[in-house]
Amino acid sequence: MLRASTEVSGADFDLNAVTGAATGDGGIEGGTLLHAFAEAITLRDAARTAELRGALVEALGEPAMIDAAATAAAFHGFVRLADATGTPPEGAAGGQVTMEFRDSLGINDFYGARNA
Amino acid sequence: MSGIGYEGPYRVRETLVEAHRIAWRRIAEPGAWLDGARRVAVAAEVRAAEDCALCRERKEALSPFAVKGEHEATDLLSAAEVELVHRLTTDPGRLRRAWTEGILAAGVSEEVYVEIVSIVCVTMVIDTFRRSLDLAPFDLPAPVPGAPSGYRAPGARRHDAWISLVQPEDVVESDGDLYGPTASPVVKALSLVPQAKRDYWDLAEVHYLPGSEMTNFATGVRAIDRMQIELVAGRVSALHQCVY
Repeated sequence: MLRASTEVSGADFDLNAVTGAATGDGGIEGGTLLHAFAEAITLRDAARTAELRGALVEALGEPAMIDAAATAAAFHGFVRLADATGTPPEGAAGGQVTMEFRDSLGINDFYGARNA
Repeated sequence: MSGIGYEGPYRVRETLVEAHRIAWRRIAEPGAWLDGARRVAVAAEVRAAEDCALCRERKEALSPFAVKGEHEATDLLSAAEVELVHRLTTDPGRLRRAWTEGILAAGVSEEVYVEIVSIVCVTMVIDTFRRSLDLAPFDLPAPVPGAPSGYRAPGARRHDAWISLVQPEDVVESDGDLYGPTASPVVKALSLVPQAKRDYWDLAEVHYLPGSEMTNFATGVRAIDRMQIELVAGRVSALHQCVY
């Protein structure tokens, strides 16, 4: 989905950022802050989350911070739903997730891919 | 705290507040396969898992299935149901088909499995959102009396996932509103129990994107654009080691 949205927008974003293998905002407004906010929420780092809430409100506005938090929370559900049911990745994101693409991002090295 | 509301310094959009009210009420009501008391017990175990020593030991282990030990049954949930809730809550990225088959072999039906997964996901979404705003979790709701409906989608079959699901062409009228014009694999994941599927997706679409916007990569329905949304989504998924 991120790849498709960057293609539509024309942004030059390095998708390796989502696995932590690249840094920078890659042309996404507030990308560095959003990346760090998602990470702090997932790692349950309350102090860092609080710091980034303030930074996001300042940079992008309060509604943007709320929607970033809402998205991060939603994916705490989506990942569990997919993992618990063995939902096959083929067909995800409209069928754009090829084995080569997954390999390029290191997804095939995840535990679930190696032990499928 | 008591009641379902959003106090505090941030203005949470009303669609989220209303979705949380509905989702929290639904947890307390009879489902398709669990009564209200068992549904609330599942939500309680999601929170208990955070302080579970066995879960912590497994989470820290290189091979989580090599750690010996079993969860104990509670008054309302079997040991296998507690195992399902705890491991899904604390270490979802390292689940395996054999583990799911073990849960089913221990007497948890596919229908109950799906309904528990739905409740775990709803609870995780709401608790995580509140934690991200430094708000205390909602109090667990009081169970609503009543019997489960016992509805299993008649068109559900085993396909390539670990659990039976309904393909769009196998939907029947009694399933109710199940899919829009398209149905990606993750949308179909809980379709064995249509109400469990709706309970999760009614909440998730308000958090993430409405179904009608999923393939609109220039969508402007949120205060962040689609690239920003997917950056957050991608980072959370990667940290969970989710292969989907």
